[in-house]
Amino acid sequence: MVTTAAQTAKPATVVKPRRKPRIQNGYAWLLLTPGLLSVLLLAVWPMVLVGRNSFATSDQYGAVTGGFTFESYLALFDPVYAKTMGYSLGIAAINTVLCLIIGYIVSNYIVAQSPQRQSLLLLLLIVPFWTDFLVRTFAWITLLGNGGPILWFAHLLGIPLDPLVPSQTAVMLALIYAFLPTAVFPIYASMRGIDPSLKEAATDLGCGWWQTHARVIAPLSTPGIIGAALLTFVPTLGVFVIPVLLGGGKELLVGNLIVTLYTEFRNQPMGAALSMVLLVLMLLSIAIGALLLKARKRSA
Amino acid sequence: MKRQALVAVAAATALVLTGCASGSDTGSKDSTELNVYAWAGEVPDSMVKMFEEETGIKVTVDTFDSNETMISKLAAGGSGYDVVEPSQYAVQLAVGQNLLAEIDYDKIEGMDNLMDKFRDPSFDPGNKYSIPWVWGTTGLMYNSTCTGGEEITSWSSMFDEKYKGKIYMLDNMLAAYIAGLQINGFSANSLDEAEVAKATESLIEQKKLLAGYNSTNYDELVVSGDACIAEAWGGSSVAEAVATHDDVHYVLPKEGGTLWVDNFAIVADAPHTDAAYKWMNFMLRPEVAAIATNEDYMSTANVAANDLITDKTMLDNPAVFAPEDQLEKSEFIVDPGEAMRFYQDGWTRVKAS
Repeated sequence: MVTTAAQTAKPATVVKPRRKPRIQNGYAWLLLTPGLLSVLLLAVWPMVLVGRNSFATSDQYGAVTGGFTFESYLALFDPVYAKTMGYSLGIAAINTVLCLIIGYIVSNYIVAQSPQRQSLLLLLLIVPFWTDFLVRTFAWITLLGNGGPILWFAHLLGIPLDPLVPSQTAVMLALIYAFLPTAVFPIYASMRGIDPSLKEAATDLGCGWWQTHARVIAPLSTPGIIGAALLTFVPTLGVFVIPVLLGGGKELLVGNLIVTLYTEFRNQPMGAALSMVLLVLMLLSIAIGALLLKARKRSA
Repeated sequence: MKRQALVAVAAATALVLTGCASGSDTGSKDSTELNVYAWAGEVPDSMVKMFEEETGIKVTVDTFDSNETMISKLAAGGSGYDVVEPSQYAVQLAVGQNLLAEIDYDKIEGMDNLMDKFRDPSFDPGNKYSIPWVWGTTGLMYNSTCTGGEEITSWSSMFDEKYKGKIYMLDNMLAAYIAGLQINGFSANSLDEAEVAKATESLIEQKKLLAGYNSTNYDELVVSGDACIAEAWGGSSVAEAVATHDDVHYVLPKEGGTLWVDNFAIVADAPHTDAAYKWMNFMLRPEVAAIATNEDYMSTANVAANDLITDKTMLDNPAVFAPEDQLEKSEFIVDPGEAMRFYQDGWTRVKAS
């Protein structure tokens, strides 16, 4: 429980004048080389290749033939792509909002537990990651489909419920399921740093449950909430398996379109161009998140 | 610190170097290895074992579930595969990208064993690059309990309001357009912009009636009754469902049949060419070809294998072997070539609608 008050109260002798770290003959670079190389090789280089291909042409067999053209980007001006992009952004936004709400409630619950219990609950949140994402998505087919427990229970109660797979509801549920843990962790990390006495003080001063959260806890958790929003929104934009398996392939997300462009349409340049547009949108949302955080720091 | 850093760099360099080295194994005359890249479930284990025992060659089989995955792996180069199993249109694409080696027929025996339909096919004249292995049709599967005993014979049932929410289409552009084109009376291989556009309209119209697109477990959905009708690729799992359930049927729609065929081909940069030829000759033998039908409910392209099929009902199972009169007028789904852009445009609209 380190608070700002505690930090300023530290005796001045503890704060030593910091010496500049000595870099010996550039060996620091040598140490960084493996890390930098792997980033360049595994993250930057593939993106450069995709970027290059987005300006290339391809032959009728799908082979990229080089050249330089803006054709692939111009083709994306067809409203059908804007519609798909808009739909994906909408789904990602809804998923983010829902994950944040549930994630906030869950984090708030976990933080209130004893330290041992907190560790246990966090461990339980991680357990699903031990199983492959695809397998867990398939599990939802069983869970929501014909012969699954939900339908069985509904029929037991006499509720005539149709199988939920494939449906948009199933897609939404699976999306929340997939991204909820990544939303909980940053919010939890922020909430853990809030001095419990602040909550007590708010209650003492007459704040109800809602006011305590709206005026004290939520504002103090903002960094975590922004982080959670980014970790949910950005990856949701790239999802393509869930709509195929649980949505019956009827709702096209931009991720699905990219896969189809690369494979069935064997139009690599256009697939690459759409990937670049998506990348820019993702970077933009990260930039907005960073700006929000910065603005908050300044006002604090 | 200094030493640790050096070790780390050395290790990274070694990794990169070994990574490069492993790809450049140009085989000697007598290979002891063969790398096969085939459709999931189309190379029976017992066939591999038999080949290994007979030749002493160690076979590694990797599987794919779409032609496009396989082609992109070959196109990236240095795949290390010797033999691949492209479908008919994928043979055209792979040949167009120079990914397959021309077959030297001086080294091949047993081409006479193949059905006439698969010799000199439209997608690979003279079987220059590929030899057919197993084939099938694209048709529809239905559950007669679900349809109330009604017999389904036409694509039009898949566009019928009556079955709304109980219809599944294959999640595959070329397959979906077979239905879309044929219901309008066009060839499933149409290259005409207006015809493709008309088919697109039909498919968009149909989407409202669909439960979904599915190319993974549509056979299970028909068996369970979740689907009344599903567009289906005839073959192993569908054939098994038809054989084991009285109310599950597979038909080639009366608007016309279409064929697919998966072929073995030798990769252009195959490291073990001699072993690849041994594989080609091996799979052309009737007793080997019969394994595909006997063990995996697949229809072999090898007519000489028919006598060796143990379960004779397979020959009458329409999901395995299409009836001869229907086979006669069936056409291969070939690559649309330049007309691909009409299909791309149309299918994007169907999916985004």
